[in-house]
Amino acid sequence: MEKLGRKLRIGPTDNTSYERTPRENLRIIPPAARDSFLPYSRVQPGIRLGENDLTRLAPDLPRADGDAIEMSGQILDDTGQPLRHALVEIWNANKYGKYAHDLDGYSAPLDPNFIGLGRMLTDEEGRYKFWTIDPGCYLARPDINRWRPKHIHLSIRGGASRLITQMYFKDAEHNDTDPMRIVMGDDFHLNIGKQYETPNIDVERGYKFDIVIRGKDSTFFE
Amino acid sequence: MVKNNMNDTINPTNRLPLTNEDTVGPYYPICYDHDDRMDLTKSIVGQQFEPKGDKIILRGRYIDKNGDGAHGALIEFWQANAQGVFRTEDTESSPEIDPHFDGYTRYRTVTGDFELKTIKSGTQLGRAPNITLTLFSDGISRLVTQVFFENEISNETDPVLMSLPQDKRDKLIARLVGEDDDNIPIYDIEIILAGEGETPFFDDFLALGWRD
Ligand SMILES: [Fe+2]
Repeated sequence: MEKLGRKLRIGPTDNTSYERTPRENLRIIPPAARDSFLPYSRVQPGIRLGENDLTRLAPDLPRADGDAIEMSGQILDDTGQPLRHALVEIWNANKYGKYAHDLDGYSAPLDPNFIGLGRMLTDEEGRYKFWTIDPGCYLARPDINRWRPKHIHLSIRGGASRLITQMYFKDAEHNDTDPMRIVMGDDFHLNIGKQYETPNIDVERGYKFDIVIRGKDSTFFE
Repeated sequence: MVKNNMNDTINPTNRLPLTNEDTVGPYYPICYDHDDRMDLTKSIVGQQFEPKGDKIILRGRYIDKNGDGAHGALIEFWQANAQGVFRTEDTESSPEIDPHFDGYTRYRTVTGDFELKTIKSGTQLGRAPNITLTLFSDGISRLVTQVFFENEISNETDPVLMSLPQDKRDKLIARLVGEDDDNIPIYDIEIILAGEGETPFFDDFLALGWRD
């Protein structure tokens, strides 16, 4: 019988997932073609000072509404090597659960002091640190009253490693009904930020979110 | 509770558990996108250098189960240069690397359509010219496939195409549909994400126990 790869799961109650998830199993990549499936990104945009502080639009402008939080962590590949100088982009909803993105039609208010986009490069140890606003949840499926729990989006690109994911919060409202949380199953804990105290800095609290991404030596498991 | 797809398939020894991939959602910051890089034939905008190789245009669209475009998705393109060599950390200084060709870009599509101006990659190690396309989208985490070009002799022996049944091979071959004002050939591909006529996608996590 022909060997096949994984069958992707459709996120429950997620219409887009229903429309876009392949119904057939993924295909196995022949060994001779594996290298061609390992994109290598050299993208390094010019980043302005302060792009990792989303809580104000400029140093002397007012803070956005809601709790200022720190999100920080280290990015490793699965052999434990730090991902140095990788581009980390984050985006999240404001305190009211509203994105400033053109396509967000949700009725919650915009916050004039919050754009909700940040980016930076990781340091020599693969570390990153952002200040942002504790995001609100938002109603994703009004017809069945299904909400998205609060979360922060991340995209990471550096060399042969890249990942698009979301950080969630422990025991947050609506976590249990979130389609992707259900798909993640027991591994959901890997996507939860661990809360820490921040007594000496100007934020309410911090969340440590360490990230493990496949590197160039670890894409194919044999 | 159902286990995660990703860590399920991984050799449990000596590896840190991977952070789960998640959907990109509908609100990837448009300003972080590099639309100008949908032309890989200009390595530096405003400069005269060009990569070696035959220029081509790859036009295509991602279609969902209902026949609608996969609007708002991110598409990543990755290919070898005219000599068939990929530009990576390991090959950066190799004489086979074309300093004016990068081979990587990411694009946010508004409608599901895309148009990439590039060069046709060379054949090396038995591979036919191809471009690896990765889709990040709302509703799914990541989908990977490879696109080939009509009328290439090397298609007949390419290991990726050969690994598929005949009717699936055709889904990955872009058709020559014309040329632009500069006589650059235009290839066209329709990528069907789900349902009837579904395009084959590939698993870049190999399951333990499924190894050769
Ligand atoms: Fe979101």
